[in-house]
Amino acid sequence: MARYRYAYFPGCVALGSAREVQDAMDGLAQILDIEMVALKGAACCGAGVMKQANWELQIALNARTFAQAEAQGLDVLTPCASCQGNMSEDFARLTEDADLRERVNEQLESIAGIRFEGTMKMRHLLHVLVEDIGLEEVAAKLKNPIDFPVAGYYGAPMQQDGACGEDDVYDPQYFEQLIEVLGGTAINYDGRTQSVGFPGLLAEEGSALKMTASVLSDAKSEGARVMASACPLSHINLDTYQVKAGRVSGMDTDIPVIHLPELVAWALGHDKGRLAYLKTRVLVMGD
Amino acid sequence: MASVVVWIDEGCIVCDACEETYPEVFHVTEDTCFIKAESRTDGNFDTNETSKSAVTDGIDFEILVEAAEGCPVDVIMVEQVGGDSPAEEPEEVAVEIAAAAGAVAESGAQVSSAAEVSMDGDRSLLILFGSQSGNSEDLCAKMGKSASTYGLEATVKGMDELQIGELAGQKRVLIVCSTWGEGDMPDNAEDLWVAANGDAAPSLAGTHFSVLSLGDTSYEFFCQSGIDWDVWFEKQGANRVVPRVDCDVDYDEMANGWVAEALPHIAAVDGDGVYQEDAVEALKAKAVGGKSVVAAGSAFDLPDLERAELQVNIQVFRYDPVSGESGHDVWACAMPGNLSVTEALRLLKATEDGSLTFRDGSPDDATTGLLVNGRLILPGRCAIADLATSRKGDFSLRIDPLPGYDVIRDLVVDHSDYQTHLSASKPWMRGATRSATQLQQGIMGTMEAPLAATLHIAGDFPSHQLLHSASDTTPHNRQYVGPAVLARLWARCNDSRLSPAGRTSHLAVVQGENGIKAEADMSSINRQGRMGAIAGLALLEAKTATLVADGFTGRHGKHVWWFTETVKFSGQLNETTLAGATLGPFGMAKNALTGILPRMALGFTRNGAPMMRDLQAMFMPPGSVGKMPKIINSKVDDHHEIVALYNAFDRRF
Repeated sequence: MARYRYAYFPGCVALGSAREVQDAMDGLAQILDIEMVALKGAACCGAGVMKQANWELQIALNARTFAQAEAQGLDVLTPCASCQGNMSEDFARLTEDADLRERVNEQLESIAGIRFEGTMKMRHLLHVLVEDIGLEEVAAKLKNPIDFPVAGYYGAPMQQDGACGEDDVYDPQYFEQLIEVLGGTAINYDGRTQSVGFPGLLAEEGSALKMTASVLSDAKSEGARVMASACPLSHINLDTYQVKAGRVSGMDTDIPVIHLPELVAWALGHDKGRLAYLKTRVLVMGD
Repeated sequence: MASVVVWIDEGCIVCDACEETYPEVFHVTEDTCFIKAESRTDGNFDTNETSKSAVTDGIDFEILVEAAEGCPVDVIMVEQVGGDSPAEEPEEVAVEIAAAAGAVAESGAQVSSAAEVSMDGDRSLLILFGSQSGNSEDLCAKMGKSASTYGLEATVKGMDELQIGELAGQKRVLIVCSTWGEGDMPDNAEDLWVAANGDAAPSLAGTHFSVLSLGDTSYEFFCQSGIDWDVWFEKQGANRVVPRVDCDVDYDEMANGWVAEALPHIAAVDGDGVYQEDAVEALKAKAVGGKSVVAAGSAFDLPDLERAELQVNIQVFRYDPVSGESGHDVWACAMPGNLSVTEALRLLKATEDGSLTFRDGSPDDATTGLLVNGRLILPGRCAIADLATSRKGDFSLRIDPLPGYDVIRDLVVDHSDYQTHLSASKPWMRGATRSATQLQQGIMGTMEAPLAATLHIAGDFPSHQLLHSASDTTPHNRQYVGPAVLARLWARCNDSRLSPAGRTSHLAVVQGENGIKAEADMSSINRQGRMGAIAGLALLEAKTATLVADGFTGRHGKHVWWFTETVKFSGQLNETTLAGATLGPFGMAKNALTGILPRMALGFTRNGAPMMRDLQAMFMPPGSVGKMPKIINSKVDDHHEIVALYNAFDRRF
């Protein structure tokens, strides 16, 4: 049996437009002896969007996921900060509101034969690496140091009470500690906990792009050569929409943006080719 | 004949107490206290510590002693010397002083010996209210705030917020309960009372309690609910630390009296649950700022309001509007940890840089808000020890102006963005004509208590200027009215006193183009503590109502609708369907032309992700997202359960 076991909730984007997240998760799980037990049939977390239509529906779907994990006696591991934030909010709501919990459990029992009891915890990969596995153990498995300045991006959804483990909500340090352990220079910049407006990307694109540009530009101006995102959803703004964000805002936004699982997996020896590609880009090609 | 000498030792805190007591003798200067020349035989003007010159005739010895005793740091020395029996009179004084000191020491010893059990550990206090009109709840809320003065960590709960079994194991419980009708429990206490009289009622041995009962003497069963709870707690084995107080309609004075007794008595229950009655007076003295008589180093030591000195690097944002230069100044300081941020800034301004500019004011001044270590705060309310974060052993405090506003100078921002949106929204109450009730005070409009409480909470923000800054959208969209104005208007919209015309006017702002739809991500608001949680909930309700009112049309409506719809299709978000439905053909084409598609398809900026992964993007427009169209999107396992949940909770989808 693996040393660390979690019920695994990859999030829709890791199974969709950001398959590279899943590739990296598989790699780092193998290296760090993590068993990611599949949550078969788990639904989308709602990403802060579904609850605008009906929060109770979103809570019910997440309660089902929680109950599935509880049935296996496991905490839920996710590589997505938006999933972590949304699901932690819903978890808190369920544990605080007995009437809501009862309404949801009544349906869960009749539909799926399971109940939410509140015994599991939501865990983001970043918190698992720092709190469960420990930075010393991560350091011991380091093979390819990330020897350039890296800006860690937490995003807003995960940085709230109950969603960010033991890290500071407003002035977090886990990402920076991890980057240092992986051989990089951690960049401390204001934008690391600011929103890039992903929930508004399609409907309020102007604001979302300016928010995105602000974060990218801030990281660059503080000396970052690469950004690593703890949120695959935000990564869509930070990477795919990067050029457009720069054009709309007039800011300098060109910077490679990778995912947190990639940063860790590559440093630990997984997929050397992609790390070499990134290093080449940073060292030779620049922006 | 004896003469009297008075002098000032080192350590004067220039509190002025002595000068107020005896202005003919003492004069407090900037850094110490002098004995006035006209009161001394040598005519000098200093502390008299070196020359020890006697005072002139006519100086009253008793008032001098009174001043000495009133000195909070005991630096005033009074001595009688000389005369026919020089040794005797000073001895009397010495004896007197020794006696007084002995009394204090004895008192301290008593407390110390009576409270040898450690007071560390559990300092929790449960404050329970049974409330019909909100009076008990208000009292408990105030009492909850005061409890920290006695080193207690209070949790205030309505009686409908806990199960009867949760009382077991509580060391300290204070109850405030009103009586409704003919001796009935208030609505929120009924269930608990039924449970208390059922089989599951717990034993409360080890629990200490007291009850405040609110009632009306014009009713036969005056304060019956409070009486019932008082008797019940005793019956269950709990120890009453202060007798119950029954209050009539004008309850303020009696209630305050009870609180002033109940808190120190309940605080005297130590960490092991033992009631240290002898410690009560010390607790009262400590709470009013008097000197504690508890011996130093005693095991019974309250959590001190004074915090240890903190070595902290304070980084303060500076902006000079004349030169246009900006940056951060850093000061390495040693400061008491209990200093508020405002006090720390005052200190820096007074001792380091007089040009440092910030809004000063009372702790509750809503315009003084700052961003400290990423947290939006009112600086007068927060101690630096609670905010400073430790990095590699160094404590640091980074102080920035509120985001979302233009900076005038240093930490001072221009709130006019918020004020302009507020005034343009016409947020005032336009009252509706409504029914009223004959009360003792006359004919008055009434409101259901739960609604009143909800409305009160919905507007309970320490600072609207602060809340305006909580959104990460506001700095990037100055047309957006912001969360503070929206939360205020939304609360008004839910107020039954508002006229239909007023509601229409407010909704036009909330649901307009620059209203709630302009907020790009509510999570930035939600994360700002209690203020953010309350506002976030209000904004979510406003957004939902807006989308419903719009029939889920427009980009916002379609985005939310199709997001939810696609999850029902397969259990997971289908990004392609979502993007297509939200943006429409024109938006998709525009997106493809603005570089999103090539960026995805080439895989270049995806840092070398396997090409097949990126090529998925080629299959679908607009290329901004990379999932297959729903037609070939596979369903998650047990997908029928998801559909069933949709059917149970929202049949619109």
